[in-house]
Amino acid sequence: MAMGIKYLTSCAALALAVMAVAPPASAIDASRLQDAEQNPNDWLSYHGGYKSYHYSALDQINADNVKNLEVAWIHMPGRSTRGLQSMPLAADGVLYYSGSYSRVYALDGATGKLIWSYFPELDEELVSMQTHSPYNRGIALGDGKVFVGTVDGRLIALDMKTGKPEWDARLLDSKKLTVGFTGAPLVVKDTVIIGSQGGEWTSRGPLFGVDIKTGQKKWEFLTVAGTEDAKATWGNDSWRTGGGGAWMPGGYDPETNTIWWGTANPAPLYDWAGADWQKSGPRPGTNLYTTSVIALDPDTGKLKFYHQELPHDAWDFDSAVGEFLMIDRDGRKLVVHPNKGGFVFVYDRANAKVQNVWRLAKNINFVKDIDPKTGELIGRRDLSLGKASSPLCPAIAGGISWNSGSYSPKTGLWYKIGQEWCQDIEVVKTTPITEPMAQLNIGGNFKLVPPPDGPARGHLDARDPVTGDKKWEVTFSEPPLASVLATGGNLVFVPDSRGVLHAYNAETGAELWSHYNGVGHNGGIMSYTAGGKQYIAVPAGWGGMVADEFPALFGEPYKSMPKDAGALVVFAVK
Amino acid sequence: MLLRLTTAILMQMKAIMLATGMALSLPFLWPLGVCAQQSQAPNQDQSAKESDIEGGTMFATSCGFCHQDGGRTAGKGPKLAGTTRSDDFLAERIRKGKPGAMPAFGGAFSESQIMAIVAYIRALE
Repeated sequence: MAMGIKYLTSCAALALAVMAVAPPASAIDASRLQDAEQNPNDWLSYHGGYKSYHYSALDQINADNVKNLEVAWIHMPGRSTRGLQSMPLAADGVLYYSGSYSRVYALDGATGKLIWSYFPELDEELVSMQTHSPYNRGIALGDGKVFVGTVDGRLIALDMKTGKPEWDARLLDSKKLTVGFTGAPLVVKDTVIIGSQGGEWTSRGPLFGVDIKTGQKKWEFLTVAGTEDAKATWGNDSWRTGGGGAWMPGGYDPETNTIWWGTANPAPLYDWAGADWQKSGPRPGTNLYTTSVIALDPDTGKLKFYHQELPHDAWDFDSAVGEFLMIDRDGRKLVVHPNKGGFVFVYDRANAKVQNVWRLAKNINFVKDIDPKTGELIGRRDLSLGKASSPLCPAIAGGISWNSGSYSPKTGLWYKIGQEWCQDIEVVKTTPITEPMAQLNIGGNFKLVPPPDGPARGHLDARDPVTGDKKWEVTFSEPPLASVLATGGNLVFVPDSRGVLHAYNAETGAELWSHYNGVGHNGGIMSYTAGGKQYIAVPAGWGGMVADEFPALFGEPYKSMPKDAGALVVFAVK
Repeated sequence: MLLRLTTAILMQMKAIMLATGMALSLPFLWPLGVCAQQSQAPNQDQSAKESDIEGGTMFATSCGFCHQDGGRTAGKGPKLAGTTRSDDFLAERIRKGKPGAMPAFGGAFSESQIMAIVAYIRALE
């Protein structure tokens, strides 16, 4: 008995000691996620909060002292096949992030020391057959758990403190469909929401709602012909060719209890029907709900309303970007969403009615314009069979890519990357694919070329997100493919493709600091505090579908840049 | 229709044999041709079916995503026109892919389809 008491006393002492060194932690519940923007010490979700601002109000690191920013610590995850593409998260001084093969790490935010790691066992044979694999773009936190999707169709919940799996839910038959999950989940109240990849596959782009406690599927929404009305927009049962992946996590509007999500293109990418696309070709009709923004009830998965940004997308300029910027302006509640084609759509949050459309990319000719009042496409350039007489702009890599910009409530500016490139295109009549796995459905041959107005390039724009009015612009010799971070310290961080992390003055665009991380960036960037100190965390690690275009287009350093090396680099002011 | 399909298969095989010196016998070719099928949506344009084992069409379906300009220039994947790799190497690369760079298509394409794609690559200028 005496020994028992002594043992218990020792355990209690040990527990107290652990509590003394461990950072204070409170539950990540619905209210903490909803109020995430009010606590810049954490970065709790992919978009940094439901408003998708990707903004940190922290200002310890600022325009005056950024010249003293230096590497605080580095974490090397290894096996970073096709780059480190994820957005790190932070809660109560602990940093969480994922790497290729859905490997998850919890690290001490101040030192980088490992707290736990989790390496899921994946179906490697399946991985070898996938195109958009094995990278992972992010995780989610909630209910004491860390959530990660896998390329073989699972959503896994890990204990936040130990990394031990609490549940492992198979949502997709990836053996049959080829597609899996690469995007981050989104937690809304007691539901974990995740969308599958795929615009070139026979999948129907499902979006899933899963019970946060048990891993049980609560609902599934098919972005391809998910309703009877939508099925009628695919002539000749062509919905079987699929597409419409709901790749990236969307946004949430708590006032109306609505999630906003973007969907990918229909398959095949290119269509030989030309202007007769309503009646002939591989997928006659508008092809709902591909290349659309959809608004769902997060509790039931029921569709509330939608807007199809490009009816019958015949160019692979999809709506899969997950950035839904919630902006209140002059009494109007708006949501801003970038489309891959290079246009930015502004919607009414109540009903997805178009309020404005403006151009971020300069070289666009797949339409003459988009009506800023209605969203109607004006002067569509529907391709016909054979070689197009002039290049299609932008190129398949898009005028806008999937990573996120950053909106600063302090400056009222949205910092967003635009891409300038075009492609020669030959449309080929192919056999619609409905069953075989591991077989893409493209319908064309193409070659990336410079745009009419100069060399292929990228640019960081500082713009009003509602009107599109530009305050300043910085040009890059190659498009930066990573996300952007604006901070309360009057800074904008841009991790570029060559591997240089830049810091700009948020008001003027003047470069204030830079640091070479050794390999290109193709993932997220965020800020948090640990022990009261501000850190900036950026994954470096090059790879992925757009990055793969760079060696042929730009030469070095991309020709010799490794696509299996990555490191999480964390900075602080000395 | 079957006759036209068979003719198309034989033409592709002839192209491969000319390019590679492969001495394939007809009894060997026939079952390969029979298994050369891709699934198709009901009520789709049936005339497209003949292209099931046409290397150029299959290339534009699955390969052109990475091997640009129909394989004539480098893109996500390398330029294939004028490759010095052997037919066996090309066929094996299509079957098994390259980890982290190219998917394995061995489970999606039949052997005759793979050979037709190899023949298409060989014919590139």
